[in-house]
Amino acid sequence: MIVVKDLVRQFKSGDRTIKPVNGVSFELGKGSLASIVGKSGSGKSTLLSLLGALDKPTSGDVVVDGVSLAGLPDGKLTEYRRRDIGFVFQQFNLIPNLSALDNVMLPLEFAGVRKSARLQRAKELLEQVQLDPEKHARRTNRLSGGEQQRVAIARALANEPKLILADEPTGNLDEQTGEHIIELLSSLSRDDNTTILVVTHDRSLAQKTERCFRLQQGRLTEEVRSGSRR
Amino acid sequence: MSVLARSVGNAFRNKIRTAAVVAVLAVAIGLALAMLVANQAVGAKVQELNASVGTTLTVNPAGGQGFEGGGEPLTTTEAQTVASVANVTSVVGTKALRLQTASTTTASTGATTGTTQQAGPGGGFGPGGQQPTVSTNLTAAVDAGTLGNRNSSTGSTTQPTRTLPITATGTGAEVDSTGKALNITSGTGLGDYTAAEAKALVGSSLAEKNNLTVGSTFTVQDKTFTVAGIFDAGTTFGNNAVYVTLPEAQALAATPDELSTMIVTVNSMENVDSTKTAVQNALGTDKADVTQGQRNLETAVSSLNSVKNISLIAFIAALATAGIIILLIMVMLVRERRREIGVLKAIGAPNRTIGLQFVLESLVLVALGSVVGAVIASLASGGIASALISSNTTTTAVTRTQRGGGLAGAVPNGSLPGGGGFQGGGQGGPFGGASQLLTSVTASVSPGVLAAGIAAVFAVAIIGALVPALLTARIRPIEVLRGE
Repeated sequence: MIVVKDLVRQFKSGDRTIKPVNGVSFELGKGSLASIVGKSGSGKSTLLSLLGALDKPTSGDVVVDGVSLAGLPDGKLTEYRRRDIGFVFQQFNLIPNLSALDNVMLPLEFAGVRKSARLQRAKELLEQVQLDPEKHARRTNRLSGGEQQRVAIARALANEPKLILADEPTGNLDEQTGEHIIELLSSLSRDDNTTILVVTHDRSLAQKTERCFRLQQGRLTEEVRSGSRR
Repeated sequence: MSVLARSVGNAFRNKIRTAAVVAVLAVAIGLALAMLVANQAVGAKVQELNASVGTTLTVNPAGGQGFEGGGEPLTTTEAQTVASVANVTSVVGTKALRLQTASTTTASTGATTGTTQQAGPGGGFGPGGQQPTVSTNLTAAVDAGTLGNRNSSTGSTTQPTRTLPITATGTGAEVDSTGKALNITSGTGLGDYTAAEAKALVGSSLAEKNNLTVGSTFTVQDKTFTVAGIFDAGTTFGNNAVYVTLPEAQALAATPDELSTMIVTVNSMENVDSTKTAVQNALGTDKADVTQGQRNLETAVSSLNSVKNISLIAFIAALATAGIIILLIMVMLVRERRREIGVLKAIGAPNRTIGLQFVLESLVLVALGSVVGAVIASLASGGIASALISSNTTTTAVTRTQRGGGLAGAVPNGSLPGGGGFQGGGQGGPFGGASQLLTSVTASVSPGVLAAGIAAVFAVAIIGALVPALLTARIRPIEVLRGE
């Protein structure tokens, strides 16, 4: 489903050139649940943004269902993000003056879903991520970090994307809620055939994924598991 | 939540800032609208002045004017000559007559009622020869008074108290002796002014004095005339008058082809001077005197044009200020919300949606600013426009007094010499009321003007919001998200 070919992203930092992603290649099948682990600053988030078409690689390509992202114009990339990608940001990136419901409804609005349908869908998603119904109408800047995290996950799931890219999805959650989110992502992968790639420091989450990659100095290696998770 | 609802919500995200922005915008927009209104008011007045009296020349026989002087009369052939001069749009010939009440004519001249007097003492009304006296059954509406009796005295001999004659004018178009359209208050005009017909337009006070209404009849030189309309000239002297068609007046005077005066209309104010010279040359300096009685108005129009230009510049400046304010505010807002734009892009918002959201947000701010600004404009525009025009009029009046040697400029209605003779019981001339016209400008906030001004500000707001929003939206989302 997703093929990454020799992906390179480099930045200029003063006189130095840094390569947080340096020749990364891998493939993920449809419905797989994978994780990327690595130290802070190892380029995990940069790789995720390249896969999510938030950034363009210096070289290399990402091919999704046979379509090369490198060749797509900006308009098509926006459409790709809207239709095929669900992105959970490490910093949540919610719109602070909008309610939890409004935030979840945004991607649905951009996809042209009718108001009543998107309201219904947003409520279901917020319930799915276990956000108290009384907080659905609350502005997200008045929610706790964990609650914002759940709203961000609900928003990522809104348009039923083919690929969910999650940057530390359980980083701000308590153990119980974290478990629930992991179970939610697993069920999406298992039942809805959604491909999920998470970047995490959470070993328990990484261990529950089908495949686990380690990013070190811009290079990706896959950790070999003795048994299957499922 | 729709884009519109989101935009309205964003406009009020920071209420104190929104209030400050609206206040600043309102002042700028209010000033712009006030200037636009002032500009329109002054422009309309300039146009009115130009259209009414600003572009006319008066041609009199050389050496003769009104009831005074001598020389040879003007002819219709000369009128055709003038009509062919460049920039002349129309030439209206007039033939002036004096209508003397039948009994007075008999008493003062001893002549048989009904005769036409081409020259001679004429009962002390001057030797002009321009205005033959014919008899009528009408009674003048103006009493002679001190001025009239003084005018009638010759040497040391004082004439007995008498009634004044009535001015009758044969005209080639529905205009008065200054070229201004007649203000017919009842009835109709005379139809074809180039054909002899026993119909007349009667001044309101003369009609009242003689109990005339539309359809009534009166006689001039034993010929019965029907009142076709009643007009109001705006002055007592002007309303003691009768207008007939030009050929009818020429027939009454028994001087076919003869004209007392020609009213020449020039196509524009700028061409008046050159056309005056051209007409003078075409007729010959020994044949005709060409006068431009509205010299003062030229100065006034020039000053008003300056005010118009200043108000236009002020309008543009205020509008530009409003535009810059909204532009800077939107640049600041977009800058402040770069991350939000990045998030919207990241979750699939098209550029046009982002652009629309910020445009709607700016329009909400401008709409609020415009409403408050329109209130300010409606309160301030009248005062600003009258302040601009009254100060301008004062300047003109002073200039006029200096130029005219005190003859004309200082009089309240701005009457000028050289237009209508010295008969009559009081002042009043063809250019009376010019100053009144200038000072009567009142600025009114017309919906069209307001809409045009606000539309301009909205256009600036749309551009001001769209450009920075789209520029930001074109950046890769990660650059915006990473930059914060």
